[in-house]
Amino acid sequence: MVEHRIPENLNEALKLLYHGDYQVMAGGTDLMVQRRSLSDTPLDFPKNMVYCAHLQELRGIRKEAHRVEIGAMTPLEDLLCHPDVPSLVRRAIGEMASPAIRHVATLGGNIANASPAGDTLPVLYLLDAWAELRSLAGSRMILIRDLITGPRALKIHPEEMLTKIGIPEMHFSHETFVKVGGRQADAISKVSLAAAADIVEGKVSDLRIAFGAVAPTVVRDETLEGAWEGATLSELKVGVWRLLDMYVPLIRPIDDQRSGKHYRHQVALNLLRDFIESLSEPTSEPGR
Amino acid sequence: MRDISTSVPKTDHWEKTAGTAKYVADLAPEGALHALTFRSPIPHGEIRSLVLPDLPEGYASVDARDIPGKNGVHIIQDDMPVFAERTLRYVGEPILLLVGPDKTVLKRLLSAIRLETVPLEPVFDDRRADVWHHYVKGDPDQAFARAKRIIEYEYQTGLQEQAYLEPQGMIAIPEGDKMTLIGSIQCPYYVKNAVVPVLGCTSDKVRVIQPPVGGAFGGKEEFPSLIACQAAVAARKTKRPVRLIYERPEDIEVTTKRHPARIRLRAAIGEGNVVEAIASDIRLDGGAYLGLSNVVLSRSMIATTGAYTVPNVSCSGEVYVTNTVPTGAFRGFGAPQIFFAVEMFFQHLAKDLGEDPLAFKLRHLAKQGDLTATSGTFRDPILVPKMVKRALEMSDYQNKTRRYSGESPYRGLGLSLFFHGCGFTGSGEATIIKAEVQLRKNADDTVDVLIAAVDMGQGAKTTLAKIVAHTLDLPLDRVRFPYPDTDVVPDSGPTVASRTVMIVGGLLEKAAQKLKARWVSGVAVQLTERYQPPEWIKWDEKAFRGDAYPAYSWGVDVVEVSVDPRTYQVKIEGTWSVYDVGKGIDERILEGQADGGMTQGLAYGYMENMEIKQGVLRQRNLTDYIIPTACDCGPYAVEWVENPFVYGPMGAKGAGELTLIGAAPAVAAAIENAIGRRIRKIPATPESLLELIEYGKR
Amino acid sequence: MANVNFVLNHTPVAVEGGLNRRLLDVLRTDFGLKGPKEGCGEGECGACAVLIDHRIVNSCLMPLANCEGKDIVTIEGFSETERFTVLQKAYSECGAVQCGFCTPGMILASESLLHANPHPTEEEVRIGLSGNLCRCTGYNMIVKAVLLAAKEGEGLW
Repeated sequence: MVEHRIPENLNEALKLLYHGDYQVMAGGTDLMVQRRSLSDTPLDFPKNMVYCAHLQELRGIRKEAHRVEIGAMTPLEDLLCHPDVPSLVRRAIGEMASPAIRHVATLGGNIANASPAGDTLPVLYLLDAWAELRSLAGSRMILIRDLITGPRALKIHPEEMLTKIGIPEMHFSHETFVKVGGRQADAISKVSLAAAADIVEGKVSDLRIAFGAVAPTVVRDETLEGAWEGATLSELKVGVWRLLDMYVPLIRPIDDQRSGKHYRHQVALNLLRDFIESLSEPTSEPGR
Repeated sequence: MRDISTSVPKTDHWEKTAGTAKYVADLAPEGALHALTFRSPIPHGEIRSLVLPDLPEGYASVDARDIPGKNGVHIIQDDMPVFAERTLRYVGEPILLLVGPDKTVLKRLLSAIRLETVPLEPVFDDRRADVWHHYVKGDPDQAFARAKRIIEYEYQTGLQEQAYLEPQGMIAIPEGDKMTLIGSIQCPYYVKNAVVPVLGCTSDKVRVIQPPVGGAFGGKEEFPSLIACQAAVAARKTKRPVRLIYERPEDIEVTTKRHPARIRLRAAIGEGNVVEAIASDIRLDGGAYLGLSNVVLSRSMIATTGAYTVPNVSCSGEVYVTNTVPTGAFRGFGAPQIFFAVEMFFQHLAKDLGEDPLAFKLRHLAKQGDLTATSGTFRDPILVPKMVKRALEMSDYQNKTRRYSGESPYRGLGLSLFFHGCGFTGSGEATIIKAEVQLRKNADDTVDVLIAAVDMGQGAKTTLAKIVAHTLDLPLDRVRFPYPDTDVVPDSGPTVASRTVMIVGGLLEKAAQKLKARWVSGVAVQLTERYQPPEWIKWDEKAFRGDAYPAYSWGVDVVEVSVDPRTYQVKIEGTWSVYDVGKGIDERILEGQADGGMTQGLAYGYMENMEIKQGVLRQRNLTDYIIPTACDCGPYAVEWVENPFVYGPMGAKGAGELTLIGAAPAVAAAIENAIGRRIRKIPATPESLLELIEYGKR
Repeated sequence: MANVNFVLNHTPVAVEGGLNRRLLDVLRTDFGLKGPKEGCGEGECGACAVLIDHRIVNSCLMPLANCEGKDIVTIEGFSETERFTVLQKAYSECGAVQCGFCTPGMILASESLLHANPHPTEEEVRIGLSGNLCRCTGYNMIVKAVLLAAKEGEGLW
C-alpha cells in the first residue's frame, strides 16, 4: 500500500525520506500528468508520496551578496514578478506553460523533473545555478548541470530533497532566451536557446551558450565558450560559422510527435547565429 | 420592428457563464454503471482468441454477441460494426465494453484481458478505393487537345481533429423495454435511427435527449451513433444505466477526423491565359470505414473549380480505405480540402503564366447565371467583386503586397475566394432528410419551438427562437426552444451542412407565418411544417449533374503573416474577411462564427499537425495536438454584405462552415508569398517550411 | 486517514483521505460542483480551472494533498459576486460564449487576471487567457469582454 503524507515541516519531510522510500511532490504539474489515471479515480503512484508544496521553509526569494536564493517550492509566478530574480530566469518562466500552471509549478519541480525540454534549465545551466540538497544528515550544494544526469534522472540520494536554488549574480551586456514551441503560448519546447555575452571594450569577456531540447540534457560546453574569450567582437562575428560548426556535433535532437531532428538542429544553429550577429558594442550601462 | 440582425443576449448565456449548464458528463443517473472500451491494439488482423479475467459480481462484458439486432452503425454506409467480431481494421477499434460500478476495478480488469491476434498486412496508402465517382462538364477532352499549355500540380491536406472542448459522451438508460439516450450529439435522430436496428426494437422504444453540447464541429455528427449503440446494448444487457464518457486521449485516438486529401489538378490554358478546362483527381482517406465519406467526397468534387467558372471539367473522386481511425464529418465537410487545392492552383497557374494572381482569379470568377462545375446554375447575384474590393481596402492589400515583395521578406499577404453550398448536397433535403418542424402555441400565448436542431455553441437556440419571435412579433422570452427530445420533437434533420438557419429556420418562419394567421389569444394550437424543395432544384445523383445546392454563401479572406527567418514560425499579423450569408440573423452570433471559423481554418493551414505512423496516431492529447491559444489569434476584421436569399428565413443562407473554408488557402498563400516558395501541402508547419526553403520551388 | 481542510466557496470543509485524488474529482464527486469541467485532464485546456487564493489553477493537476489550508473558489462560488455580474454581462455583450464548456474556466481566468492586474492591456489579457482553450471563438470576443469588464467594473478589482 502506497503511503501519502503531508508533513508539517521540512524536518518531518526529511525524516520520511530518511526512513522510507518516498517521492517528493512539489506543485505536481508534471507528476500529475505523468501518473495520470482515469477521471475520478485516485492517481496511481508507484512510490510513497510526500507532498511538500506548502512548506513555508521552502518558499521565498532572498537576495544575498552576489546571488539570489530561491526556495525550491516557490511558485514560478512569484519569480516572474520578482525584481531580484535574474531577467533571463524571468524570461524563461514567462515563456512557460500558462498562468494556471505557473501559479502552482515550482522551480524545484522543473529542475527535479529533469525533462530535456524543461524551460528553465538552459538558463539555470547558463547562470551556473546550483541546488541545495538537504537530508537529515545535512546539506550539500551541487551545480544544476552536475545534478541532472539524463532525462528524468538526477544525482540525488533517496533521503535527500532539493530545497533551494542559488543563482549567482552576473553581468552581461547581451543576453537572450528564445523558446520555440508549436504556438505562441502554452507549448512544450521544440528547441530553446539561452545565450549571454559580456562585451567589454570591444572584446568578449564572457560568452555563455546553452541549448534545450536538442540532447538528453541541456547542451552547454564551457571549453567551447572559453575559446572565444578575449576575441574581439568582430573576430567573433567573422568566426560565427566556425562557432556554429563546433556546436554541430553537440546538437543531437530526436524526432518525436512535436518536431523533427533536422528542424531542431537547424533552428538551434539559426538561433545561435542570430544571437552572435546581434551582438554590438554596448552603449549604455550593462544590464543584468 | 427591430432589424433581425440586431443582436440579443443569447438565451443560454446565464447557465453557461454561471456553470450551471449540465453537460453529459455532469449527469449521473441513479445506479449508473461506468463503461470502459477494450480496443484493437493492431491496425489489421483477426482475433484468434480473447480471454476475459473472472468478472466480479456486478461487472459485465458486452460485445457483438450481446447485440439483439444488427451489428452495424446506421449512417450513409452502414459498414462500421458496433463491436468488431473477428476482423480488426484499425488501432483503437472497439471490441467490447467492460461495465461496472467502480472504474478502478474496470481499469484493472481491462488490463487483464488476454487478446491474441493474427496480424494481416495493413494498408495505409490509396490502393484500396472503395467509392468512385466521375462527372464531366462540357468537352474537357477537346479543350485539353486544343490547349496552348497544360499545367498540373498535386496538393495535399492533412488530418484535422475537431478538438471540441467537451469530449464525447453518452448515457443509456433502460426503463422496461424503452431505451433513453442522453449524449453530446449534433443529430438526435441519427442516434435514434442507429440505435433502433441495433436493439432490433420498434422506433417508439428509443428516445434520444440532447443536453447542452460543448462544441462539435462535425465530430458529433456520426460518431455519437457508435457509442450510443454500444451504451444501449450494455444497458439492455445489464438492465442498468450505463455511462460511456470519453476522456481526451481516448477521444482523440478513436473519434473521426477530417479526411486527408490528395488532389491532382490539371488545367488546359487557352488563348489569353484563360483556363479552358480542369481535370481533377480527388482522393480522400476514409480510414477503416466509409460512414459519411461518400458525401464528403461529393462536396469536394462539386467544388472542384472553386469560385471560378471553367467551361469544361472532368472530375474524378475516390475514397480509399485504410487501416487507420475512420475519418468523417468536420466543419466544411470536404470543402476545405478542395478550396485549399483550387485556390493554390489558381495562384500557381497565375505565377506560371506570369500574371498577377488576384487579377487572374477575378477574371475567372463565377458570375450570376454561369453554370456551376456540375452544370447547375448560379441563380442568385454573386457579390464577390464588390467583396474583394472591400477586402482589399480593409487590408491595404495592394500597397502592402507591393511593399513586401520588395524590401521586406518573410512577410506576406494571401487572398482566397470561396463559397459554401448551403444545406444537404443534391436532393438530400427532399429525398433523405424530409425535415419537419412544429410550433406549439400554448394557452398562455407562449410558443414552443419543437425541432431536433442542436445548439452546440453556434447559437441555434437563440437564432431559431429569434426567427419565430420576430415573425410572430412576440418578445423573445415568450418563445421557448427546449433541448430536443425525440419523444417530443419531430425530425427536423441533423444539425449539419450549414442547413440549420436556412432550412430549419426557413420552415420555422413559414410555420410562424401560418401560426400568426391563426393566432387567437388564450387558445392553444399546434402546427407542423414540412420541407418542400424549390421546384427548380434538379439534381441527377448518378451523373453528378444539376444544382447541387439551393444556395451558396460566399467569402473573401485576406491574411497577413510574418515568418520568423530563424525558426520558420508563422505569426498571423491580421486577417480581413468579407462574407455574404444572405441576411444575418444575429450580428454577434455571426461574428462568433467568423472568429471561430477563421481560427480553426487558419490553424488547419499552418498549425494543427496530426500524423499516423504504422496505424498509430502520434499526437494523442492536447499537449501534442496543438490548437491555437488566445496569443495566436487576431486581430481579425470582418464585414458582411447583404444579399437576401428568397427561400431563406428573412433572406438568410448558411454561415457556420463558410468562415472556416477560405482561411487555409489564404494563410498558405500568405506564407508562400512571405518565403518565396510554393506551398502545395498543409499544414505548412515550421518543419515543412524549413524543407521548402532548402529545396522548394520558387 | 488524514483530513484535508480547506475553505470551499467561503465555507470551511474537511475531506477525508484520498490525498492522491485530483481536486477536480473531489469538487465534482464529493461536492457536486459540476461547474469545473474536464476537457483534457492534463492542464492544457483550463476547463477545470478554479481559484486558489485568488489565482487560477487547473484542478485536474491539483492533488487533494496540496489543497490543505487553501481558499478555493469554483464558478459556483464566484457566480455570487458582483465581479462575476460585471464579467458575465461583458461576456454577453461581446459574444464571448458559444458552447459554454470553456466558459467557467475562462471567467475564472479573467477574474484571476483582473485581480492581479485591474487595468490589463490587450496583450496582457491574451497572456492571462493563454492557458484556457476555446474552440468555438477565436478568443477575440473573449479578450474584448475582459477589457470591457475591466472598464465597466472599475474599482471592483
